[in-house]
Amino acid sequence: MKESAEPGSGSQAESPVDHFDELHRRREAALQMGGPEAVARQHGAGRLTIRERIARLTDDGSFREIGTLAGSAEYDLQQELVSVKPAPYVAGLARIGGRPVAIGGEDFTVRGGTSFGALRRKGGQGGFIEDLAHHYRLPLVNLIDGAGGSVTSAKRRGHVVFPGVDGFERSVQLLGEVPVISAVMGTAAGGPAGRAILSHFSLMVRGTSQIFAAGPPVVKRSLGKDIDKEDLGGAKVAVDKAGTIHNAVDTEEQAFDQIRRFLDFMPQNVWELPPAVQSGDQPDRCDDALGSIVPAKRTHAYDMHRLVTHVVDADSAFEIQPTHGRAIITSLARLDGRPVGIIANNPKIYGGALDAAAARKQIHFMELCDTFHIPLVFFVDVPGFMVGPRAEEEATLREGMRAVYVAGQLSVPTITLVIRKCYGMAGMATCNKNDIDLKLAWPSGEWGSLPVEGGVAAAYRREIAAAPDPKAKEKELETELRAYASPFRTAEAFAVEEIIDPRETRPILCELVGLAEGRLRTGLGPKAKAGVSP
Amino acid sequence: MAKINVESEVTGTVWKVEMSVGNQVNAGDTIMILESMKMEIPVEAPEAGKISHISVAVEESVEEGQVLCVIEN
Repeated sequence: MKESAEPGSGSQAESPVDHFDELHRRREAALQMGGPEAVARQHGAGRLTIRERIARLTDDGSFREIGTLAGSAEYDLQQELVSVKPAPYVAGLARIGGRPVAIGGEDFTVRGGTSFGALRRKGGQGGFIEDLAHHYRLPLVNLIDGAGGSVTSAKRRGHVVFPGVDGFERSVQLLGEVPVISAVMGTAAGGPAGRAILSHFSLMVRGTSQIFAAGPPVVKRSLGKDIDKEDLGGAKVAVDKAGTIHNAVDTEEQAFDQIRRFLDFMPQNVWELPPAVQSGDQPDRCDDALGSIVPAKRTHAYDMHRLVTHVVDADSAFEIQPTHGRAIITSLARLDGRPVGIIANNPKIYGGALDAAAARKQIHFMELCDTFHIPLVFFVDVPGFMVGPRAEEEATLREGMRAVYVAGQLSVPTITLVIRKCYGMAGMATCNKNDIDLKLAWPSGEWGSLPVEGGVAAAYRREIAAAPDPKAKEKELETELRAYASPFRTAEAFAVEEIIDPRETRPILCELVGLAEGRLRTGLGPKAKAGVSP
Repeated sequence: MAKINVESEVTGTVWKVEMSVGNQVNAGDTIMILESMKMEIPVEAPEAGKISHISVAVEESVEEGQVLCVIEN
């Protein structure tokens, strides 16, 4: 007869050699994870094991595991160890690009990565690995592959657990202290799904990962609806449509690349500056392509991605949420080697009008850069908030004003560069009045409380209707008002600080971002939170 | 032969149709121009191929995600 017992309660070994032998056996058992069959099933589903993931993501040989021996052991009648089933979570210290990180993830090959009844959690929702990130001020990387609690755990314990006994308080605290990255590598529901959201940057793999509050069986039981897990929470829904997760990649290798790239821009914690690198790109490079990138015709869109690429250090742009809220482009990038956050309106999507999704995306990115002392550069071409019945149903006005509210609380150095349109309240969300409020503009810039076209029709409604040729009257009024819209007239009034030649954009931004570093040094540490977000 | 649905990225109206059924297109060629939020939004071919179907006409309203035309290659 065999009986289960807590590890460590076995017999005392006779000599140090026996101790080493037992340590070796237990370590070996940990490396086996859920056993060859479970590992083969994991591979068969197109997924790596947690140990393979950590090895491929981190610097060679840098993983120092903590909690290797946690698990459930079986002992014989003499209390000798028979076997150990490892805990369904692997965690420890490692290095990425030479920098130390705390890293952990569920082992799906052991009981599907479900929670583990140990005296202390290893990670995933508080637990040792999150304590490590907090106390040692280290970035945290979560490799998520589990479905959270199971009703079977109540039977094991003999009682049910009140929500939050293993809560998210540490995960919440970390969002103001160290970079937190969560990669959804399998099907995540419940706690692990929630954990993924409490991150600065999250990503998932198209086709092999899904995320939802609850999976298809619960949906069937609750709503009577049949839906498969990919349709419920695949990347098309969770990333492209909902923005629940920030970025989607095609393979696990690409996920590791994106984690490394994101970390490159981040400081170790909020008490440090983000790392600058030696740029291979000249800071005084004047790019002739910028002189002709904005079409002369105001109704023609242009490629804002390309525009940004011509300004920032070559190959430095890393876009966050490229497939969601596409009226805004949010990219981490470098100017003369220093990290910057680029927020650019995308004229190809509804003329760059700010809709609810784009506003939420802008808010997250502003908060990210503000928290980690990454200067912001706005490339502005925004005609206003998105209009229309769907925009109103989506609470565009409220989400847009939240962007204004968050912009109003920024403390990081910010440069506003108006490429073309800057109108209305959406335009206000592109400035930081707590900074020097430097508004640069290209000669193609135009601004106001609302664009002349729509504004004329509304303000001169009666006059236009009474005219013998209303269309001609509207045109005449538009031409008259447009003369006042010249950016040079605003510059005369010093209400925009400087109009620049587009080709000079890079040298000017590189110089200003370089100067901002002195200011950044004086503002390190966590950000105070105040007020009620609308 | 692969069929590629070219979908509208915006809600708006069709302003101009620049191509006809049977035309050969290269990736990036403008097939039609939509108007939305007072902007001209070109609809470009995502891949090279032959236009086998155009499902909208000038001045017609289109919804985001609506199929505008089909390319076969």
